[in-house]
Amino acid sequence: MVGEITMKKYILNSFVAAAILFTAACKPEIETPAGTTAGQANFSKYIAIGNSLTSGYADGGLYLEGQKVAYPNLIAAKMATVGGGNFTSPFFTDAQSNGSGYISLSALVNGTPTLTPVPGNGWRDAPTNTRLFKYSGEIQNLGIPGMRVDLAFAPAFSAANPFFERILTDAQVGATTYFQYVQTKNHTFFSLWLGNNDVLGYALNGAVTVPTDPTTTLTDKVNFSSLYANFLNALTAGGQKGVVATIPDVTSIPYFNTVKPSLLLAAAKAANPAAQALFIQTGTGAVRAATDEDLIRLPFQSAGLFGQGTIPYGLHPLNPIENKWVLDKDEVAKVKDYVNSYNSSIKSLATSKGLAIADTYAYFNQVKTGLNIQGVGINAAFISGGAFSLDGIHLTPRGNAVIANVFIDAINAKYGSTIPTVDITQYRGVKFPN
Amino acid sequence: MKKILLSVLLSAPLWVLGQGFQVNLQGQKQIGMAGAGSALALDEASVFFNPGAVTFLEKNSVSAGVNPLLFKSAFQQSGSNVTENVKNKIAPPFEFYAVWGPKSNKWKLGLGVYTPFGGLVDWGNDWSGKYSLTSLNLKAIYFQPTLSIKITDRIGIGAGFVYNHGDVNLQRALPVNYPDGRSGHVTLDGTGKGYGWNAGLYIKTLSNISFALVHKSKVVTKLDGGTAEFDVPNSLRSSFPAGNTFNAELPLPATTSLGVGIPLSKSTALAFDASWVQWHVYQDLTFNYAQPVNGSSQTKSERNYHDGSSFKLGINHQASEKLALRAGVGYAFSPVQDGYVTPEAPDANRYILSAGLGYTPTSHFEVNASFFFEDVRSRKQKNIETGLDGTFKTLVYAPGISLTYKW
Repeated sequence: MVGEITMKKYILNSFVAAAILFTAACKPEIETPAGTTAGQANFSKYIAIGNSLTSGYADGGLYLEGQKVAYPNLIAAKMATVGGGNFTSPFFTDAQSNGSGYISLSALVNGTPTLTPVPGNGWRDAPTNTRLFKYSGEIQNLGIPGMRVDLAFAPAFSAANPFFERILTDAQVGATTYFQYVQTKNHTFFSLWLGNNDVLGYALNGAVTVPTDPTTTLTDKVNFSSLYANFLNALTAGGQKGVVATIPDVTSIPYFNTVKPSLLLAAAKAANPAAQALFIQTGTGAVRAATDEDLIRLPFQSAGLFGQGTIPYGLHPLNPIENKWVLDKDEVAKVKDYVNSYNSSIKSLATSKGLAIADTYAYFNQVKTGLNIQGVGINAAFISGGAFSLDGIHLTPRGNAVIANVFIDAINAKYGSTIPTVDITQYRGVKFPN
Repeated sequence: MKKILLSVLLSAPLWVLGQGFQVNLQGQKQIGMAGAGSALALDEASVFFNPGAVTFLEKNSVSAGVNPLLFKSAFQQSGSNVTENVKNKIAPPFEFYAVWGPKSNKWKLGLGVYTPFGGLVDWGNDWSGKYSLTSLNLKAIYFQPTLSIKITDRIGIGAGFVYNHGDVNLQRALPVNYPDGRSGHVTLDGTGKGYGWNAGLYIKTLSNISFALVHKSKVVTKLDGGTAEFDVPNSLRSSFPAGNTFNAELPLPATTSLGVGIPLSKSTALAFDASWVQWHVYQDLTFNYAQPVNGSSQTKSERNYHDGSSFKLGINHQASEKLALRAGVGYAFSPVQDGYVTPEAPDANRYILSAGLGYTPTSHFEVNASFFFEDVRSRKQKNIETGLDGTFKTLVYAPGISLTYKW
């Protein structure tokens, strides 16, 4: 019996030991270099230079939710583990959280979206809505919606652009250029994603340049290159390191690929089988039948023009879709040519300065084809694609997270840093009405 | 133009099995020996390990055991410094066996109820792989009545019919967002059944070295009328109808094992098992929905599994009349090819270590305990279908105990 008791004790002890081992048990460990070093870079004061994409503009407006998930803000949060400092942005206050106003998806019936404006509450001259509430604090996210490489050197633009006017003192408004402004921040590291609007403004207007509106022009290729060089010279004047980004092919965004001529024609035929072709007026003034190589702007969908009138609009050579709604095949080629030219300037200038290059041009071409990232399918489809917000131009929070990683990968590859990547699954696509 | 076509492209819910779902816990003595023992007529668990050996068991017996299993898996996205862990959930693989036959006769009957496949993985609803999987609870319970016959004093054959009762609950997040920003969610829940067999040959040579050849057939488990519940914003409801159901087939693979038992002394025996797990049956996974989901009544995911294999070496030492000690080591090769690793079965090649002991206070009563440990090697993967990109590392801990009554 004594032996038996000893044995029982032994078994019991073994089980206690096993249980301790079991519960203490040793979580599986995964070793990682991420978040350990800044490499050759110094992230203590990062500034982000750019346009609407950099500011967090989304859904046709600049508003607080979008500002908070702007890609530079996501990058800066990850830089914190490798010596990054505080990162400041001109956030709207909670009372102004709708900012300049934006659009929301209010209904989706049989695949047809209803987009509803959410009025802005960030205007200080409401209801005129030309001037936003001023922001006077320190700023490192320097993204200005509408900013262009050429207009970054125009003092008048700081008065004309409400987003830039908002962050300037009264003395600076109309006097300070964006180019001057970005040099005043004592930065140690910068990102520069500028130039999209030098071609996008033209494209968004259907490739129609309005003489009185400098945001609808195409920036001359040589001029672009020399102004961009000025930026890089100024931003690296103190030996700072940084990352520049190429310009996406603006013709691949949902804004130009949702209202397709073939879909319009199919809808017209469904209503009236006599409809034979879709007619457009091209940039040369010629009228011809449209193909899917001609891109129609997204707002045409809700313009209420199509098929209207005694001579049905868009369905007869005598009443074609006007030039301003269409980026015709030749205009598409022209826009692509400018994008390619700007990008070759950006890449060669950045290379000569030894800067990292985030090739968002190449990346968005992949997005257009569609790709799966961390279990999320992302493509360039309007609403369902997940990357582009409801304006068909700017990014969703998810799109910002994806692009933040393109920047982070480029920075890490160039400078041997280990900025951790952003978990894109924590960021939403388009909000669907419930 | 009245409509802009909106296609919400969401890949199909996935369902993956791996070595990770093959539960190697079917008898406390064998577990203590890393799962080897098909060539030893150790006890009533031979119903599972080798029906041909059952007839060589000296006594009639019944036994029941359980092996609470903790599957601790961690994931880290490529480039991230955040490691995420599965929640601590304890899966209860169990086993019940009964063996009966007239004394000194040439045949014995057996019954086994055991859980050869299963998985309990809960990553939580907010982890970085949530769009691939949030949780899986898979249980396959095999019922196996068996007949074992002694052909000669040294050769036995046996075979059993297998009925499988399978339960599956699989959940993941959907990358569509509600107005408050939260994600959609899908839950697939179903019960199914399948049939197969288990047959074995046991040979004891004149040198007392024994051999085993065992084949456990594949069991294609059919799930009919499982519920497919999609939580999505109401504006997407027409694409994800409520009250939907699905049918699917879950192929559980065949296993062929070759075993050797070597008596080192009167009190000590070595057992070696080599198993070939025929996972190639798992080429794709197809769900057929009663009502179309996002415009498609069927979703098909490529799996392209290879066959897996395992090698296990165990030792059983009768330390005294009442006490037996056991230990084992093993290594298993994963059937999951690069590019197909998923959070359901974050599979990789694995080491196995085990220890066990048995205590026999009376001639009728026996208690056995075991501790089973698997170290699944770290594996950095980018899944071809989902793009989930990161490193998985898994450790498995399973203590177990069983009670046996013999007569």
